[in-house]
Amino acid sequence: MDVVFQIVANSIIAGSLYTLIASGFTLTYSTTKFFNITHGVMTAVGAYTVFFLGKILGMPLLLAIIVGVLFAGLLGWVLNYFIYQPLRKKNASQLSLLVASLGAFTAIQACISLAFSSQFQTISHTAVMQKTFSIVGASVTQIQLIIVASALISFVSLTFFLKKTRFGTAIRAVSDDEEVAKVIGINTDKVIGIAFFIASALAGLAGILIGFDSAIEPTMGLALLMKGVTASIVGGLTSIFGAVVGSFLVSFVENFGIFYTAGEWRDAIVFTLLIIFLMFRPNGIIRT
Amino acid sequence: MEYFLHLITLFAIYAILGLSLNLVVGYTGLLSATHAAFYGIGAYATALLLTVSGLNFFFAVFLGIILTSLIALSIGSVLSKFRDDYYALGSIGFCIITFSIFLNWQDLTRGPLGISGIPRPDIFGLSFSSSILFALLALIALGVTFLACRGIVRSSFGRVLKAIREDEGAIQVFGYRTHTYKLLVFVISAAMASVAGSLFATYVTYIDPSTFTILESVFILAIIILGGLANLRGSLIGALILILIPELLRFAGFPAEIAGQTRELVYGLMLLVLMLRRPQGLLGEYKL
Amino acid sequence: MEKKDQKKPALAVQNLTKHFSGVLAIDNLSLSITQGAITSIVGPNGSGKTTLINTLSGIFKPEQGTITVQGRTVPPLHPHDVWHHGITRTFQNTRLFEQMTVLDNVLVVLTKRSVIPSLLETKDDTHYDQAKQVLAATNLWEKRDQLAANLSYGQRKLLEIARSLATDADIYLFDEPFAGLFPKMVTVVFTILRSLKQEGKTVVLVEHDMDLIRKISDHVIVLDSGTLLAQGSPEQVLSEKSVVEAYLGQ
Repeated sequence: MDVVFQIVANSIIAGSLYTLIASGFTLTYSTTKFFNITHGVMTAVGAYTVFFLGKILGMPLLLAIIVGVLFAGLLGWVLNYFIYQPLRKKNASQLSLLVASLGAFTAIQACISLAFSSQFQTISHTAVMQKTFSIVGASVTQIQLIIVASALISFVSLTFFLKKTRFGTAIRAVSDDEEVAKVIGINTDKVIGIAFFIASALAGLAGILIGFDSAIEPTMGLALLMKGVTASIVGGLTSIFGAVVGSFLVSFVENFGIFYTAGEWRDAIVFTLLIIFLMFRPNGIIRT
Repeated sequence: MEYFLHLITLFAIYAILGLSLNLVVGYTGLLSATHAAFYGIGAYATALLLTVSGLNFFFAVFLGIILTSLIALSIGSVLSKFRDDYYALGSIGFCIITFSIFLNWQDLTRGPLGISGIPRPDIFGLSFSSSILFALLALIALGVTFLACRGIVRSSFGRVLKAIREDEGAIQVFGYRTHTYKLLVFVISAAMASVAGSLFATYVTYIDPSTFTILESVFILAIIILGGLANLRGSLIGALILILIPELLRFAGFPAEIAGQTRELVYGLMLLVLMLRRPQGLLGEYKL
Repeated sequence: MEKKDQKKPALAVQNLTKHFSGVLAIDNLSLSITQGAITSIVGPNGSGKTTLINTLSGIFKPEQGTITVQGRTVPPLHPHDVWHHGITRTFQNTRLFEQMTVLDNVLVVLTKRSVIPSLLETKDDTHYDQAKQVLAATNLWEKRDQLAANLSYGQRKLLEIARSLATDADIYLFDEPFAGLFPKMVTVVFTILRSLKQEGKTVVLVEHDMDLIRKISDHVIVLDSGTLLAQGSPEQVLSEKSVVEAYLGQ
């Protein structure tokens, strides 16, 4: 019985991480309608920024984390401004945007490998917040509780942001129809830029949290991206709530799946889920 | 001289991969990232058949083709249901699942340890252990692939592929079952990749899963996008340039690991710049 | 009607119904298209003309109703079936193979349909001659090596017509073939339609221009809100009060 509780706890933790990635991915996909592969590498960007500032330069950890999140967000904004926005202006197809983002993904990942080597690393010298709690038989560390809390906070604030602010209305207008949004006077470039910033910052945060929970490597982004994308597709690619539901479905299937098989099959399990959804429910499980 | 022959062999292998992927991406407009998987299946099939059963090289290559084609048939019939970016995403999923199998089905593939001691081809008592004979063999395989691809793209079948790329719904109205066309070209392309895999395995005599990651698919994509989509000579030129780049880096004095990562950096950036500045590549006849 | 013609209709639909996101596009529609004649389908925007063409060419599946081709009831059509029934079409918004040459746009519909034979089929002089013939008829032969994407609006319309002519079908569904054409091009299309009729082919037009309809059609079918409002000879139908009202009320 304890095992089941532990798996549930692991699923909730993983689902929270995927929520951070998937909600950002859904945000940019709904505004720009292309699969932004670089979204995945933002996890590594955030994590390695903290690694560099905190572990190598010795900056206070909290400050390093804040800078890491902001830097990932900024990089997302920059990529949109210098690559995706010009391509959209040229009416480039979704596929060429996808290939461009695949290129950017590969290049950024290679840069991180060149700078910090491709080895597994810990994000800081000392293990922080590893104190273990026991909750109904499942053992959970402090950092894992923070992961769940971060996902909850980001979901609530993002939902509030999208529902209650003018920026949120603008985002929804751009998602419905970019041309119409332009006509009614919304600065769509700016709105999409902010969406990229928020999405990348959230992915960066996810990467940092993973770094504190386990370890980091330059290629950490791809599997996380694909899980985030799977979660987004399961959730319908239109709403943050859908992304959250998708994230938890993915994490539960993944964690119960490896319980019945073995840990190394986690990626294969998730991508089988992705392909099943693409085949049978390409619009996801949430109807809007 | 040895070094020169080594480059020729590598060029021939990647040119085969490029030509065959171009049939799917350039001519049919399906952005597939599964190619590294078929390359890997061909390599593993040949390696296992040669090391375990000591089969004749040609027979092993042939069985590799059969196996790869069957797997491509099942993957392709799933992918044929998708279009555009969903197709790309599904194909990334399949590539990661296959990699996961190479890595984790340890009883068969020996996992990360890889398979060593793969014999060089031995055909009718003529051993291809010398570099010059192997380079010749690879070039012959390349020549056959090139002629086969040229035959395909110049046939009526090839013209229908292009029409599918341009407007699948419109060409259906003229009586073509486009699913069958897409599936057949996908299987043919995979079979060619399998031959490249057989050559690679017997050339380097050692394989492990790390060669057949999604990044290898991106590399092959970079070859054909640089050379030009829907142009066969373009794929040859693309392969030549991208094979030479890391060698130039090595000449410039970079150590091997750095050279590998710099190669990723270069082709990642190249994809990016091509999409922005010259989406049709050097000789391309089709823009994504 | 049918008794007078003595012939089976080329195409007929019975009790056809089709919704789009809750809106009724075709409402229990029954009509037949006469063999070897030019039939124009008219009606205000949203009356179901293009939906009808799309259903007849297998792009939309009807929710209800049957389609009869040359007197035989056919199962719900897939797009790739309609060619086998001798039906071809053009699209209201041209759908050419943009990044292919004008010649290839025509050649592609002339070749073998099954995959393996098409893989073995290469250059064929008869196909080339057939393509030359339809491209010459549409004044596009000179442009044969250009990409379809580089053609003018009118030339694109003509190329679509050339492509459908090349299939040598029995039934031609033309969705607004005259829209946006220069007078000279209108004459070209006119000539093509007349010669199709002479060859005994069945032509269905979706058209707005009443003068053209009067000049070219043998029959006129008027649709309104997915139902049949009137049908008959052009003079008769276009002077009917309900038809005039439907148009003025638009």
